[in-house]
Amino acid sequence: MIERTPILNLVSQAILCIAFVAILSPFYIVFAAASHDFVTVNKVPMPLLPGGHLWENLSEVWVKANFGQAMRNSLISAVAVTVGKISLASISAFSIVFFNYRARMLVFWLIFITLMLPLEVRIVPTYAVAANVLSPLKSMLSFLGLSITLPEWNLLNTYPGLVLPLIATATGTFLYRQFFMTIPNELAEAAKMDGAGPIRFFWQILMPLSKSNMAALAAIMFVYSWNQYLWPLLVVTDQQNYATATMQLQKLVPSGQAEPPVWNTAMAANLIVLLPPALVSILLQRFIVRGLISTEK
Amino acid sequence: MDKHATFSNTWLATALIIPQLLLVFVFFYWPTAEAVYWAFTLEQPFGGSNQWVGMQNFQTVFNDSKYWNSVIVSIIFALATTALSLIISLGLALLVDRRLPGHQLFSFAYFIPYAMAAPAAGLAFRFIFAPSAGFMAAINEWYPNLWNPATNGSHALLLIILCQSWQSIGYNFVFFLAALQSIPRTLTEAGAMDGASVLRRMADIQIPLVAPTLFFLIIINLTDSFVNSFGIVDITTHGGPARATDLMVYKIYFDGFKAQDYSLAAAESIVLMLLVIALTFFQFRFVERRVHYN
Amino acid sequence: MTNFSFSKLAFATLLLGTTSAHAADKIKFDFWYGNTGKIGEVVQKHCDLFNASQDKYQAVCTGQGGYDKAEQNTIAAYRAKHQPTVVQIYDAGTVNFMLSGAVIPAVQFAKNNGIEVDWASYFGGIKNYYATSKGEMWSFPYNSSTAVMYWNKDAWAKIGKTEAPKTWNEYEADLKAMKEKGVACGVAYDYDTWMNLEQFSAANDLPIATMNNGYDGLGAELVFNKTAFVDHMKKYKEWTDLGYAKLQTEALGKDIDQSFGEGACASIIESIADYKTFKQTATTFKWGVTMIPLLDGVSRKNTLVGGASLWVMQGKSKEEYEAAAAFLKYVTSPETGQKYIVENTGYIPVRADGLDLLNKAKFYEDPNNAGREVAIQSLTASNGTPVTRGVRLGNFTSIRKALRSELEAAFAGQKDMQVAIDDAVKQGNDILRRYEQTFKGSQLP
Repeated sequence: MIERTPILNLVSQAILCIAFVAILSPFYIVFAAASHDFVTVNKVPMPLLPGGHLWENLSEVWVKANFGQAMRNSLISAVAVTVGKISLASISAFSIVFFNYRARMLVFWLIFITLMLPLEVRIVPTYAVAANVLSPLKSMLSFLGLSITLPEWNLLNTYPGLVLPLIATATGTFLYRQFFMTIPNELAEAAKMDGAGPIRFFWQILMPLSKSNMAALAAIMFVYSWNQYLWPLLVVTDQQNYATATMQLQKLVPSGQAEPPVWNTAMAANLIVLLPPALVSILLQRFIVRGLISTEK
Repeated sequence: MDKHATFSNTWLATALIIPQLLLVFVFFYWPTAEAVYWAFTLEQPFGGSNQWVGMQNFQTVFNDSKYWNSVIVSIIFALATTALSLIISLGLALLVDRRLPGHQLFSFAYFIPYAMAAPAAGLAFRFIFAPSAGFMAAINEWYPNLWNPATNGSHALLLIILCQSWQSIGYNFVFFLAALQSIPRTLTEAGAMDGASVLRRMADIQIPLVAPTLFFLIIINLTDSFVNSFGIVDITTHGGPARATDLMVYKIYFDGFKAQDYSLAAAESIVLMLLVIALTFFQFRFVERRVHYN
Repeated sequence: MTNFSFSKLAFATLLLGTTSAHAADKIKFDFWYGNTGKIGEVVQKHCDLFNASQDKYQAVCTGQGGYDKAEQNTIAAYRAKHQPTVVQIYDAGTVNFMLSGAVIPAVQFAKNNGIEVDWASYFGGIKNYYATSKGEMWSFPYNSSTAVMYWNKDAWAKIGKTEAPKTWNEYEADLKAMKEKGVACGVAYDYDTWMNLEQFSAANDLPIATMNNGYDGLGAELVFNKTAFVDHMKKYKEWTDLGYAKLQTEALGKDIDQSFGEGACASIIESIADYKTFKQTATTFKWGVTMIPLLDGVSRKNTLVGGASLWVMQGKSKEEYEAAAAFLKYVTSPETGQKYIVENTGYIPVRADGLDLLNKAKFYEDPNNAGREVAIQSLTASNGTPVTRGVRLGNFTSIRKALRSELEAAFAGQKDMQVAIDDAVKQGNDILRRYEQTFKGSQLP
């Protein structure tokens, strides 16, 4: 910093600390709940000081929920969603912002509208598509009077089944569009003048510039995909091999009907499930925050 | 935005957009089209038979005074959560961006709420806001019934507003921080040289420069609180007491997912979709004009 | 595309990681269940036990993360022709499944696959609920419960009583007396209609809807705004105002189970399935289980079953049905089925043979299970009058929600109780007419 503002700094720090406590307090409660035994966690109010059963609860759920396998599945699909989403979002936004064709606003809205209807509402027809991805094509062909037998392409119990439908949303494209719009026009013009084609411009200029945005989007997408449970529950019936971590977590959560509310183990499972997204966000923060490495510009 | 359209290679443009469109078509439009068709029919859960009923489902929706109640509740909820969450997260991002000691710890901590799965958040909120136990219980000791979301509708609405805002702070914070970090230091430093105070620089330099991100987040937050907020309601209030938190999307979720009235849920979804599209279209048309892109 | 090649790579790593292929020659079939938490584990273990008990068949059991999700996912899967062979569906889903045309009725499935079932030995309150109006059972009861009253013996001892109240009037007198002796909360309640409307109506032989609670057809109309249910709810409101009763819901941070378990409220009406919970939480006082109170001068009728039953879906292969038959036989038989469920959860045996076996083992004499037999007495208190067979109403989930919302308004003082319940009935009837129209031309079996 280039100036001295001690009072302002103090106020800033105070606000940051208060927010720190307020934002993390629910997290702390989860942690405290995970460290109690069954009876203590059901006391009202639950004791706020951590109990001594954290390790016991953690190791119990680790085995019970087969987290070793489940975490691996979640990791695979979350990374695939993140990578897929960023690639698709960046190139589609590139097309919409930097190319001159008539339908681009329409195309943007076509992608954008997908934000407006949650999966729960269209779950039945979406499942039908996942069971046979070629069914839309088939229906359209038969509508045109063509009856061609297409093979059945089934996404149930596969990684693409876990991944592809989650990539088909608009957040990333919209974010990239917003970012690309801030790129000074002269940059593209200059690149063009230098004889750089669109691909080189995209790769050598746009991508490096959007590093922080990309990291932010990656963190968000990773968590988004990691925390999905409704779709994985539907697509995965082979839970031995394809269960995801959040799915396993969901199975541990008491339903409130006719069963002992074992919140302590459910919360312990939650701590485990929370760890990878937390780690990923720490790693990505390095790209978002101009680190100590790069000197002040 | 036209001035950006530098390249005119339509083939390449198409090739770049096709993968996304294909996915969206297969996994969104095709299934959604079927749901839209249901809105004009009476669809049996197992797909036995379905009869064309024209506008009957929409009439059922619009003739229901409880539906209008949920429209109002949804609008209040969406505006309140968006404003609350954006103001808090922008403030925090601006402060963290000052890079005072500990900023890295803070920037990591503020993201964590987003990483927490819904059931855990639900349990935590139950604990914090429970009037007869936990944190709020102490306050109720002094002023009985000051806080009672189980019988007081406004309290329940406030409860879900706070929960939803809390959950989206991490999301908003990350994008704000990324945007602030990509502002060249030289700009703010130049401001400082000219004698602009820290707060002045925030208002005059930083906030205008993150306007595109702000616009992005307003749209995403508004849409999200209209479209994706059923989880929090399902965990905390179930739409009650006496429908005070019966958001449009919770009603859709309940009718379609829990009660298997696919046709009614489809009609309600279309109404919600049109509402949200109108709202965002309005913003693209009028608010985006005031956003400086470069 | 990046993600494609990535997932291929991932798939390859996964293949390297998996070793076992020993189950390859077994006949597999899918079983989906809704239970989560502890009970979900019990169900999963039940599958494992079945798989270990023989080497011909393998049940592939998948928890769906909730009863509602199990029903929804089964429907989605059925429409895409990927349905499981057997699925666990909760009580409220019964009508949808009966009208679906997607299931094989239990009686028929048993006959086709040579499972011998003594249908008559299912307890009345259970059998009737899952049977058609002609008395044919369409699903296999699995985890069954009913409502009972849990009462704090220490609290009642303060007023010199050693027995729980048998009628609502006696209950009221006890609550008053306890209040005077300083018991802050005599009874905790919530807006759950299963306890307040359905079980209350059955025990007192009151109708919920016309056409024998809907058993005789989809044209039924709700009538609970004209029965003693209204006064019953008024009573709860009065008790709340007088400080005898307390509303306890999740939104308040403490549900009725927690408030009873920690001794804050002296009694609750709750499912027998929660018995195990109280064994673990209600350890600081003596408590008992008894049948829910009655109105004055009423002879007790059976209460209704809660929980879930197992349905067989259509469209699977002969081998899968053969495997499913073996599984169903295993999980419903007295030793490997009912006894297992009863011992590991708070649920009850569903047939006389299960109860006999437990009695022989002196199960209910064990102090750890004392009082659990009350649920069976309650379910078999009568043989099923026309209105205590069950509730067979379309989209009952939405009707319950409508009633719940109106009760919330009434209890918050926004509406008169009668007006609120009238409104709930009106909304409920609209829901029923809509359901009837959706299934135009269909007949309830």
